[in-house]
Amino acid sequence: MNGTLVVFQRELSGLFRAPFTWIVLLIVLVLNGLIFNGFLIGTGGNISDALDASMTGPLFWIWIVFLPALLAMRLVAEESRSGTLEYLLTAPVSDFAVVLGKFAAATAFLAILWTSSLLYAGATAVIGGNPDWPAVLGTWMGTIFVSALFVAIGMLASTFTATPLLAAFLSMVACIAWLAVPLLAGQVFSYLIPLIAKTEEARNAWATTVRDIASNMDAFGHFQRSFRLGLLDTAELVFFVTWTALFLFLTARSLEARRWRG
Amino acid sequence: MIEVSELTRRYGTLTAVDDLSFTVERGEVVGFLGPNGAGKTTTMRILSGYLPATRAKRLMVAGHDVLRDSMGVRRSIGYLPESVPLYPELRVDEMMRFQGKLHRMDRAELKGRIDTVLDRVGVLDRKKQLVGTLSRGLKQRVGLAVALLPNPDVLILDEPTSGLDPIQRGEVRRLISELSAEHTVLLSSHILAEIESMAPRVVIIHEGAKVADGDQASILTALGGGQGGHVAVEIASPLEASKISELMASLPGVSGVETGERLGIHQSFRVMGEGDLREDIGALAMTQSWALRELSWNRPTLEELFTRLVSGTLGTEHVAAAREAGAAPTAPAAAPAPAQSSGLSIEPVGQGGGSAKPLPLGTPGTAQPKTIYSLNPFDRGASRDLSKPVSVDAPAPVDLSPNSDGPEEDQEQRP
Repeated sequence: MNGTLVVFQRELSGLFRAPFTWIVLLIVLVLNGLIFNGFLIGTGGNISDALDASMTGPLFWIWIVFLPALLAMRLVAEESRSGTLEYLLTAPVSDFAVVLGKFAAATAFLAILWTSSLLYAGATAVIGGNPDWPAVLGTWMGTIFVSALFVAIGMLASTFTATPLLAAFLSMVACIAWLAVPLLAGQVFSYLIPLIAKTEEARNAWATTVRDIASNMDAFGHFQRSFRLGLLDTAELVFFVTWTALFLFLTARSLEARRWRG
Repeated sequence: MIEVSELTRRYGTLTAVDDLSFTVERGEVVGFLGPNGAGKTTTMRILSGYLPATRAKRLMVAGHDVLRDSMGVRRSIGYLPESVPLYPELRVDEMMRFQGKLHRMDRAELKGRIDTVLDRVGVLDRKKQLVGTLSRGLKQRVGLAVALLPNPDVLILDEPTSGLDPIQRGEVRRLISELSAEHTVLLSSHILAEIESMAPRVVIIHEGAKVADGDQASILTALGGGQGGHVAVEIASPLEASKISELMASLPGVSGVETGERLGIHQSFRVMGEGDLREDIGALAMTQSWALRELSWNRPTLEELFTRLVSGTLGTEHVAAAREAGAAPTAPAAAPAPAQSSGLSIEPVGQGGGSAKPLPLGTPGTAQPKTIYSLNPFDRGASRDLSKPVSVDAPAPVDLSPNSDGPEEDQEQRP
């Protein structure tokens, strides 16, 4: 636990020393602010719509593909390239503490980023608006859970290569696939199922199975169904936590495998 | 303090370390010597807990088992990899504090300790400087300070002087010599002059296997004592050269005399034999009233010996005999006396390493294949190991002619 905390502190402070971080902060805050403002004016003062657009609009899903990938690339691939990973992995902390500390730092950074929307909600409340607080807080928490999942995916990708940009690219592809595959699965399988199943019942059974699997992996759907509505559903929490934990576990294993490869 | 027994490490089909065994006692400074790719870094990485061993009978560092108690080992060693990994965005004291926290050092204790250690390595005035802006030599010192901070029992330093200019090298060398008073030090280098000046004991490895182990004097005696040493003599005398050579050959301990060329009235000789024959020859010259112009004892340096060992030009029968002596130190007079007295073990190069005859250093195609991490098929660097930063030291070309003075870097080393 101590090791995790030490690594977390260093990673987070390291992030805020890099110019990259401040550029990202600037771009994200300016664009989110513009969207919030635009929607507020465009909808004639509908605070809920404006907050929704700035927190979970299409822009958020673009950020969520790019930002964790870029952060995770710094965490493992770049350290591996500069040799500091060797330092960390020979320090008296376990691999898992290192992975957890780095993961927590990147997630905390994204959480700070998404907090800007809470400020917008607060500001509108101060000037007499009435934001839907449960939905706002739920959405904020949801964005953090989604970020955590994608950071974990990015870290796993980052352990596969010592070329930072390649790591970022791999991670983006994985994130896009993660988001798109559940949506596309139904379509793809509508062509494949008739080839496997001959009877009508079998076809229906297959379609149900595929739909179930796809919807169970659908991060977007899980987010929309619960957090966005201000609903804290344990099933949805378990979905995000288990997938994140799985990817973190795989990251630690992959780091260990690197040791074996040399 | 360090005990390595039958350590083997493979990367796929490539054997990087092959059945290596050695021990380092408390307070000892041991130099790990070998050409690039000999397995020095791999061995050190295994000892530091960075890489697992493929097979090992026993691996103990500072009283902890490397295979079972990796955390215990990591807590009691200071490991400085060749690349000197430091976070460039941190200041020197922040880097030190990070190391202290990783080692769970007490906050109050840490404060004083940082200053002590930085002062020790001579970078106290750079405490607030960003690590990324330090020069290579200063970075090396800071790296050493980071390794020293938790006051480890064992220091493992991988090529601590690589990439430094001669002045910085001298400074780092002096620093390590000072440290040897308090710590057990295992350091590696492919530059012999470094090892000669820092470590009393040398372990020479080549292609992952141990070639020689012992203090420098015993390696010298065992391998070069009878073979390479000679006394160069230049004499002016009315006598015939053959007569002079006969007289000198009659001295006790002389095994042979070669007559060299004649320069004016002076005739040169090479007197082969055991030990330092200068006094005897000098006394002979006095009794015969010869005019002596030169009398010098030329012993092969460790450098020459090292080059010969790894390039396989050292007499195989000599190595085999010396190895026997090392394997059974109590064996009766069968083995040559010098090797027996040193308790030195020498193993022939390339045995068990796969190749029947060792290729000389620098032979094209002998570079070891490296593991590839890059998944990018367009990466031109796909043939190099991307997990390691590129070394600043280009592998020095080695002159292979047997009567050369040794690798070029030696000359660069001693300007």
